[in-house]
Amino acid sequence: MALVSGPGRAGALPDELQLAVEAHVKYIQSLDTRRDELEYWLTEHLRLNGLYWGVTALHLLNRPDALPRTETIDFVLSCQAENGGFGAAPGHDAHLLSTVSGIQILAMVDGYEELEKRGKVVAFEGKEYKGKEVVGRYLSGLQNKETGTFAGDEWGEEDTRFLYAGLNGLNLLGLLDLVNVDLAVDYIVSCANFDGGYGVSPGAESHSGQIFTCLAALSIAKRIDTVDKDKLGQWLSERQVEQGGLNGRPEKLEDVCYSWWVASSMTMIGRLHWIDGKKLTEFILRCQDPVGGGFADRPGDMVDVFHTCFGVAGLSLLEFEGLEEVDAV
Amino acid sequence: MGKYEGDPVWDDVVPIPQDDGEGALAAIAYTDEYAEAMGYLRAVMAAKEYSPRVLDLTEHIISMNAAHYTVWLYRASTLLALNSSIPVELEWVNNVALDNQKNYQIWHHRQILIDHLYDSMSSDPAALKSLAESEVAFMTEMFNEDSKNYHVWSYRQWVVRKLDLFDKGEIECIETLLRQDVRNNSAWSHRFFVVFSNPKYCTPGSKATEYDPKIPGEILDREIEFAKAATFEAPQNQSPWNYLRGVLKKGGRKLSSLECFAGEFVKIPEVGEEDIKSSHALDFLADVWAQKGENEKADKALTLLGDKYDRIRKNYWDWRRTSLK
Ligand SMILES: [Zn+2]
Repeated sequence: MALVSGPGRAGALPDELQLAVEAHVKYIQSLDTRRDELEYWLTEHLRLNGLYWGVTALHLLNRPDALPRTETIDFVLSCQAENGGFGAAPGHDAHLLSTVSGIQILAMVDGYEELEKRGKVVAFEGKEYKGKEVVGRYLSGLQNKETGTFAGDEWGEEDTRFLYAGLNGLNLLGLLDLVNVDLAVDYIVSCANFDGGYGVSPGAESHSGQIFTCLAALSIAKRIDTVDKDKLGQWLSERQVEQGGLNGRPEKLEDVCYSWWVASSMTMIGRLHWIDGKKLTEFILRCQDPVGGGFADRPGDMVDVFHTCFGVAGLSLLEFEGLEEVDAV
Repeated sequence: MGKYEGDPVWDDVVPIPQDDGEGALAAIAYTDEYAEAMGYLRAVMAAKEYSPRVLDLTEHIISMNAAHYTVWLYRASTLLALNSSIPVELEWVNNVALDNQKNYQIWHHRQILIDHLYDSMSSDPAALKSLAESEVAFMTEMFNEDSKNYHVWSYRQWVVRKLDLFDKGEIECIETLLRQDVRNNSAWSHRFFVVFSNPKYCTPGSKATEYDPKIPGEILDREIEFAKAATFEAPQNQSPWNYLRGVLKKGGRKLSSLECFAGEFVKIPEVGEEDIKSSHALDFLADVWAQKGENEKADKALTLLGDKYDRIRKNYWDWRRTSLK
């Protein structure tokens, strides 16, 4: 899936705000045909993530068959590297984030069986494994045994985003017991800030995207009880601005992707009703290009697949009619 | 002919073309220059070549696309394998960072470099001091472009820990940024980190959300006065209000110790129109009054917030009302 933006621009809706389902489906289908554009190739390092965003949006739009299943699985499997993880595109080094995107796609299109049949056989500590077990062991190898965090790759860049991705991937594979979940929970707890939010590492500024990853990881670990829900809920609800959208940090502009991260975080702590859902729905709908399809970060900007996925997911969370129900995690 | 194809330095390398996974070779306008360079990169990576020309090649690719993490990783391994000059690399990285504000791979690359440099000078205080100065100077340049850049701020915390910069100089830097923009939440957050993680007086491992009995009273007073002054400058700015609550928690002090101060922004007469200069002050007072058991006053404040001063969060304020006992 390509991450090229445009061609459409968001905005200019008829009075009655509607979701342009057909246009969005066509937009996502068209993305992989745009190989004549430079941006398609400059975003190659995100190809598998991009495919995940596209597939997710289509599932939520109730059009899971809009991308061919076999080719989707073929592409995912072709991204698997020799060490068992997945790279962003064929021939790329494996990375935690693309590996998790690969797992998420396979889970959505029911492709685990193909992974068992055609996935790489890899040896870990002298023993050969195949299928899910290989991917799970690649992921568990990225956990820092002292801090509980996950590294994005063999170079050890660590943050809460990676921690969530690691737990999410392992959970989807049903292999969470390969890692030390308690240690990971301790690390997240140490990232809690005085204002109720969470940052990328202990002491780092609260940030909606990081809050989402922390809460999602805690949900997977079944440790949401460690959260000060009222304080965090207040901070999150303060992200809603007059225009109805939500921002990532105080004094920043509202954005469709942050709207998803904030809204899903509030759902995970049972506080979504604290914000104005109607205003948020209207904001998200104003961010779509009703003719060419796709969503932008805010009205008037270029659409892209990333914001399309989170726009649709946000609407689904707000129980917009006709959408498949999204899992906040 | 491409840049590398005709270059004798690269004569011995056969580039590995992009395979797009569906068999068909990408016969695409992947712009020729980028495609060619990536082809050579794949080839040197496959051969595990670590050489000066790899540095040139990765520099060229990064100039076209700084977001490709594999390129950075391979560049770092090459630098370390060649024992290249880190200061020279840092200077180059500075320019790349200034041109690519949103990129985060650069900051991880920078950490690898500084880690390496630190090990080589850890017994030389003068060298460490000048390293700290040059890092701070560079971040100041980055903040001139975007004073809320999240990558730079997380990197800054890493540097503060690594080089032990919990000193007056760091606080002064923050104050300069807050003078430019008192609403810079990143700067407020960093201040909290610097003041309340200082190993000189803080309890080791004390969490940001918990009381730390070791914080000296004069530090607490200083921080409270600083945040108070900022609220007078911009009463509706939520950052210093959050900060005040955080400081009180750290110091184990009661919210009611600031009741008078918050009252400066809120006038609710028995009859006639109220005068509210800050919804955050009203929120603060609602908590103070609830804690003191003055529920009627607290309820009135919360009602004003939901109905008039912060209507978009009406449901939240209503919930607060119901939780008054
Ligand atoms: Zn966004």
